[in-house]
Amino acid sequence: MSQLEENRILREWTPILLRSILIAAMIFLIVGLILDYTFAPDYYVQRYQAVQHGQLLGKEKFGLLYDRVRAGNPHAVLTIGLFVLTLVPLARVAFCFMLFIRERDYTYVALTAYVLAGLIVGVLVGSVG
Amino acid sequence: MLEILISLFALSIGAGFIGSISGLGGGVFIVPALVILAHMPMKVAVGASLISVVATSAGASVAFVRDGWTNLKVAMVLECATVTGAVIGAYLAGVVPTVVLELLFAAMMLQSAYFTITKRGDDILTKGDALAERLGLGGEVPDVDGHPVHYEVVKVPQGGALMVVAGLMSGLLGIGSGALKVMAMDYIMHLPLKVSSATSNFMIGVTAGAGALVFLARGDVATTIAAPVAIGVTAGALTGSRLLPHLKVEALRTVFVIILVLIAAEMGWRALSGI
Repeated sequence: MSQLEENRILREWTPILLRSILIAAMIFLIVGLILDYTFAPDYYVQRYQAVQHGQLLGKEKFGLLYDRVRAGNPHAVLTIGLFVLTLVPLARVAFCFMLFIRERDYTYVALTAYVLAGLIVGVLVGSVG
Repeated sequence: MLEILISLFALSIGAGFIGSISGLGGGVFIVPALVILAHMPMKVAVGASLISVVATSAGASVAFVRDGWTNLKVAMVLECATVTGAVIGAYLAGVVPTVVLELLFAAMMLQSAYFTITKRGDDILTKGDALAERLGLGGEVPDVDGHPVHYEVVKVPQGGALMVVAGLMSGLLGIGSGALKVMAMDYIMHLPLKVSSATSNFMIGVTAGAGALVFLARGDVATTIAAPVAIGVTAGALTGSRLLPHLKVEALRTVFVIILVLIAAEMGWRALSGI
C-alpha cells in the first residue's frame, strides 16, 4: 500500500472510529452521573467521602455489570463508560494492526501484536494484583 | 452532590484547559489538583488522571492524524517500549508508597518545566542509521513552500529506552509523559518537531490506556471521581485547543513554568512532611 493510500485510510477512518467510541463513552458517563444525581445523590456523596479516606475501591464484577446496567445502577453505567473509554487506544492499535496486515508488513504486524498483547497483559496484571 | 460535581468539573476543566494550551496534557495538572485541592489520595488521583489522559488524547490525535504529521511506524516501534513501561509502572503504583509517588511527581514537574523553557531544534536528517532504515522509519514533511522533504531517524534503541521510562512514569503517576516522549523523539532520534509532537500525542492515549486498564482491572479507579474528571478534562482540553490559535502562548510560558515549579514544591513538601 502506498503512503498516500495509508494516509487516506488513516485520515478518513481513524477520526471517525475514535470520535464514535469517545462519544459513546461520554454518553455513558453523562447518563451515569444524571442517574446518580436523580436517584442516589446521598449515596454519591457517601462514596465521594469514603474515597477521600482511601476506602471503597473495589473491583466491579464483569458478570454482574450487564444486569446492574439494565437495572439502571448509576455506578455500573459509569464503569461501562470508563471501560468504553479505554477501548479508544485499543481500537487505535487494532486498526494499525489490520493496516499492517493489509500491507503485508510482518515486522510491524509483530510489533503491533506486541502492543496489543501488552494492553491485554495490563488487564491480567491488574486482575491478579 | 451538586457542589461536589461543580468543584470536580471546575478543577478538571481548568486542568484540561491549562494542559492543552501548555502542550503538557491534562494529567500533569489534574493529579495535583485532585490531591492538593480535592484532598484525594494519590492513587485515586492517578487512576482518574489516566482515564482522562485517554479521553483527551483521543480528541487531540484525531486532528494530528488528519493533518498527516503522525509517523505511524515510529509510534508503533516506540509504543512497544511505552506500553511495557506503563504496565510495569501501573502495577508498581499499587505497591509503591505514596511518598515515593509524590517525590517522583515533583521530579516530573521540574522536568516538564525544563521542557517548557528549552528551545528545541528542528533539524532534519537526510541519512538515518541502519536499524531505522531497516525499519523504514523515515517519512516526509512539507517545507515552507509546501514541497515534501524526506527525513530520517537515528538512535532507535536509545529513544526506546527513554520511552520505557516515559511509560513507567505514565503508569506510576497518571500523566501522559508527553514532555519525555517529545524529548526522546526530538533530541535523541532527531525527528522533526511537529512530527515528534503529533506522534507523541498519538502514543499518549495508548500508553495511558495500558496503565488505565491495570488500574480498572485492579479496581483502583473510583468511578465517582473518574467520571466527572474525564468529562471535565476533555471539555477543558477541547476549549483550550479551540482557543490556542488566539492565545499568546509564548507570553504564558513563564506562567506555566511558575505553576509547574509551585506544584513540584507543594508535592515535594507533602512527601517530605508526611501530609
